[in-house]
Amino acid sequence: MKTILRLGSAALGLITTCGLLRAEPLKIAYSDWPGWIAWEIGIQKGWFKEAGVEVDFQWFDYVPSMDAYVAGKVDAVCMTNGDALVTGATGKPSVGIVINDFSNGNDMIVAAPGIGSIKELKGKKVGLEEGFVEHLLLLTGLEKNGMKLEDVTIVNTPTNETPQVFASKAVDAIGAWQPNSGQALKAVPGSKPVFTSADAPGIIYDLLYVSPESLEKRRDDWAKVVKVWYKIADYMRDEENLDDVLKILSARVKISPEEYEPFLKGTYILTLDEALKRWEKADGLGSVYGSSKVVDDFNVRFKVYEKPQDTAKYLDPSLTKALAAGK
Amino acid sequence: MARPGILRDWFLIRRDLPHRRRLALAAVSFLLPITIWCVVSYVPWIWHPDVKIELSAEREGVTTVFTAGDHVSPEFFPEFQAAVRAENKAVLAAREAGNPESGAKRKNQKLLRQLAPVAIGNGWLAYDDAQNDAVLYPLWGDLATGRKTAAKPALTAENLQIVRANWELLAAASPVFAFAKLPDEPLLKLIPQGRPANPVYLPAPHEAIRAGIRDFTAAAPAGEPTMFERYKRSLRIILLGFLWSCVIGIPIGILCGVFDFFSRLFEPFVDFFRYMPAPTFSTLLVAVLLAGDAPKIALVIIGTVFQMILVISKTTRLLDPSLLEAAQTLGAKPRQILGRVVIPGIMPNLYNDLRILLGWAWTWLVIAELIGVKSGLTEFIETQGRFRNFDRVFPVIILIGVTGFVTDQILSWLHGLLFPWAGKSGAFSRGVAGVVTWPIRMVAEGARERIAANEAYSRTNPRDKTR
Repeated sequence: MKTILRLGSAALGLITTCGLLRAEPLKIAYSDWPGWIAWEIGIQKGWFKEAGVEVDFQWFDYVPSMDAYVAGKVDAVCMTNGDALVTGATGKPSVGIVINDFSNGNDMIVAAPGIGSIKELKGKKVGLEEGFVEHLLLLTGLEKNGMKLEDVTIVNTPTNETPQVFASKAVDAIGAWQPNSGQALKAVPGSKPVFTSADAPGIIYDLLYVSPESLEKRRDDWAKVVKVWYKIADYMRDEENLDDVLKILSARVKISPEEYEPFLKGTYILTLDEALKRWEKADGLGSVYGSSKVVDDFNVRFKVYEKPQDTAKYLDPSLTKALAAGK
Repeated sequence: MARPGILRDWFLIRRDLPHRRRLALAAVSFLLPITIWCVVSYVPWIWHPDVKIELSAEREGVTTVFTAGDHVSPEFFPEFQAAVRAENKAVLAAREAGNPESGAKRKNQKLLRQLAPVAIGNGWLAYDDAQNDAVLYPLWGDLATGRKTAAKPALTAENLQIVRANWELLAAASPVFAFAKLPDEPLLKLIPQGRPANPVYLPAPHEAIRAGIRDFTAAAPAGEPTMFERYKRSLRIILLGFLWSCVIGIPIGILCGVFDFFSRLFEPFVDFFRYMPAPTFSTLLVAVLLAGDAPKIALVIIGTVFQMILVISKTTRLLDPSLLEAAQTLGAKPRQILGRVVIPGIMPNLYNDLRILLGWAWTWLVIAELIGVKSGLTEFIETQGRFRNFDRVFPVIILIGVTGFVTDQILSWLHGLLFPWAGKSGAFSRGVAGVVTWPIRMVAEGARERIAANEAYSRTNPRDKTR
């Protein structure tokens, strides 16, 4: 009997080892935010294979990408630090291992012609994805202008539909990020951004969030992904590569390179050194910890979810720090 | 005064027109909408509420970048031009004051590409090569010195002057493109040019045709399927969906039409289920069948099969009851009635039902392709529509229409071929049917003759039978 058990366990061990050897590619969901479109450079240049990690980047619309993560269809998803808390509080927790960028103007509240400021939005309809990043941006804008949640009516609109909805005049303003906000600005001549993430830099960080199980099981592979990211960040920083970068990125979202170029300013891609500073634990929006705390308070106050989240649990700088130490 | 013959007898109450006139009207029914489309597109004083940008410029400090092909309102366009003129003025003022801005190499490189749409329009540059600085740079010189003259679009006198002014600076620096040798001070921007155009959702016919040819011949961007692959995938989904619907729907439909037992057993639920719109199942289907084509095919099935069961059971019930009575009188068993009388009897109508249902399946295709991971022709329509490239959307929509129309015409023609007795066949299709079915008929005739001979033999030798 014992021999059979031993044989059995040996066979089991063999099977699991085989499973590990033929490791599945890491499935990563990404969407049309300029900071995440940047992964495309690594994908197209074959840098992941070079680094010895199999990845399967899957292109989604933003909210469906988080749905896919919650449903367990992917191992990781690109989210803002705020939406990671929302997804964690209502669906499935995750751990951020790479800070891609902070939003520096590409997230916008775009208002119809004739509306010149946030204050003039009082009593108007705003189309955005309820409970997610642009909602947070709008609420921040309202609060900065001494207004209340009830001063505007939110119309739940998928971000990639906002340009059409805005052009149809069904709403007076929309909340969206580039390239969607740019499409909206173009679709309605005379419209303009009344509040952008540049007015509150650091309120929105964009990260790669990994499922805790996958991070535990395949830490080495994720470390390689982090390494490739900083190769991408360095490549983008070099002005000589600008045309190549623009070509790859603009093709992903099917606009022209000229139209894409202004986005680079609105999404501040962090290099390794800059990212390390943002990983330091501190209060305030200069640190991803501080920012997440601010957003968490905010979400609870505005009842996006009920209980405050343990924000530190959502963040793991160890892979980034290890990479910096190894250099 | 009698009207001439050609004008007479067009309006006959409940009588068919002569064959030629019917053909002519069929042609006109297609020509009419096309003519309206052309008139609206090409007669300048009809409609044309927008300005289509032919040559664009970037403005400083504004993130919205208009490119050639974008539409703007006629009120905004002069503002746009004025903004660029003001920038040029500032550049000139700084230059005259002797303290021009520096570090503008990248800006100048982009500025030189302003001519790209002109170069493409005139055929000096390939459509997808708008960043070819090596070609664009000498073009400034050619235009400035008059070696080349732009025709479509032609440069305004104002812009020609700017071209000359810029070329003076450029020629002094280098005759060919070299990033390092670009002037450090900002050049002058070309003033945007535009022409009246219809709204972006109604491109002119030639624009739609041009975009269609480009999309169907050009290589797809990396990682994306070509148009023909998309087309194949769409067709696959609809055909598989329809086939599975047939496999499920036809037997159940016939059984329901023949036996009240099955009719009571299936039809009430089917009747209820068909009111639930198929798209409401989309998320459920994706959750169960995961991404890929399976949930899409399932959606087409759900959308089609329930209608199919009801339509086919109705068709079956409409079979001439005297046929059934005759068969029963002759002592046919239920199985024989089903196989020998009902199925052959309803075939021609069943075939027509399937034709209509196939059209029905097409309407679900568009929704099916949007669920899960978007795919096929619809994904193309969706993304291009989102970016307002409607000139690229039209050819695809028309392709779907043509596919449906042509399949239906072929199937309708085949109807005459397959069921010549149903009476809708022309002489030609009867002829083809005659040829195709000739071997079968020969075999059948031979068999009949043999049976007749056997019977005649047994009649003359009655003892053989008893043995």
